[in-house]
Amino acid sequence: MRALRALALGTVAVAMLAYAVAAAAAAIVQAEGGRLDVHVGPLVLVAVERSGDAAAAVFGPGLLAVAALGGLANAAAAALLARHARRRPG
Amino acid sequence: MLEAGDRLVLADGVVLRDGTLVDAVAHASWPVNATGALVLARSGCALGDVADDVAAAFVVPVARARADVLSFAWHLNRLALANVDRKAGRVRHALAWLGLAVRLAPAGALPAITVRRFRLDTRTIPRAIAGVARAGAGRGAAIAVGVAALVAHVGLLAGRPSVLVPAAVGLAAGAGLIVHEAAHAAALRGIPSALVIRGRRVSVLHAPAGPGRRALVAAAGPGVTAIVGTGLLAVSVSYATPMLALVGGPAVVHALALTVLASDGRTACEL
Repeated sequence: MRALRALALGTVAVAMLAYAVAAAAAAIVQAEGGRLDVHVGPLVLVAVERSGDAAAAVFGPGLLAVAALGGLANAAAAALLARHARRRPG
Repeated sequence: MLEAGDRLVLADGVVLRDGTLVDAVAHASWPVNATGALVLARSGCALGDVADDVAAAFVVPVARARADVLSFAWHLNRLALANVDRKAGRVRHALAWLGLAVRLAPAGALPAITVRRFRLDTRTIPRAIAGVARAGAGRGAAIAVGVAALVAHVGLLAGRPSVLVPAAVGLAAGAGLIVHEAAHAAALRGIPSALVIRGRRVSVLHAPAGPGRRALVAAAGPGVTAIVGTGLLAVSVSYATPMLALVGGPAVVHALALTVLASDGRTACEL
């Protein structure tokens, strides 16, 4: 239960943080009239596409992958902390 | 930092009953000896005068009584059981604190800051939110000014001076603190609670709750703040308004507190 909760909270937290960074970058690039394409391997994180005067921000599956990794890291850290707490005397 | 003119006042929810100091919010109690009982009976009087009374009642040197009374008062304040009311104005106290800080600087230490505890009315969610807003307004404003000054400084160094950007980021940072603590308080509806400001840390003290409720309370603060920030960022992208992203950004940073890096995240995971 604790591991699941840590996984869920870590995933949600990192998803929001990753989205925040991507959205802030996209908003600035959109306002300045530029283009943006950030990806990790085949996974797109965020892209700003333009056609004429119009611009569209695309949030790719890379954000979900980053969120999942964050969730796993949080669950691992929670397991480590729980193990330390059990070993602590008293 | 305590001074002889300061007055010790028991926090709301803390009472002296039959020689025991009882905290009705934290559901904790501490036995108090005769000297402690005398100091608490003089609650509201200047600590210097209380020390004179203790010296007379227990036939001890005034200097020792003063040291003991200040130490006891300091201990109660650190435990958030008593607030310190200052006879001297805040400006005079701030100057005295700065003077001591300068004297302590060679030792690499700072004078400690007193703890302040505020009662929260959690009978309804609006009352809980209003209580946090009232109690935390000063701290929120201080954070807003500090962050705004920092952002303005960075803007100047980067050669892009602005008034609007530091103001927006500062307001978002200050409001984020209030939203965070208000969400904790709202999740505590019906549970006796108090807001505690301990130096740069602000927290909500509450009566014991079940593990599920405790996890919900812990996650509510950072969760609600981060959701509000994420919403602002989504609107910012939809309407290409970077200013909204600046406001939403500081709020989303609260999401970090959902992880085990922060005490809220650890509490939510029952660690």
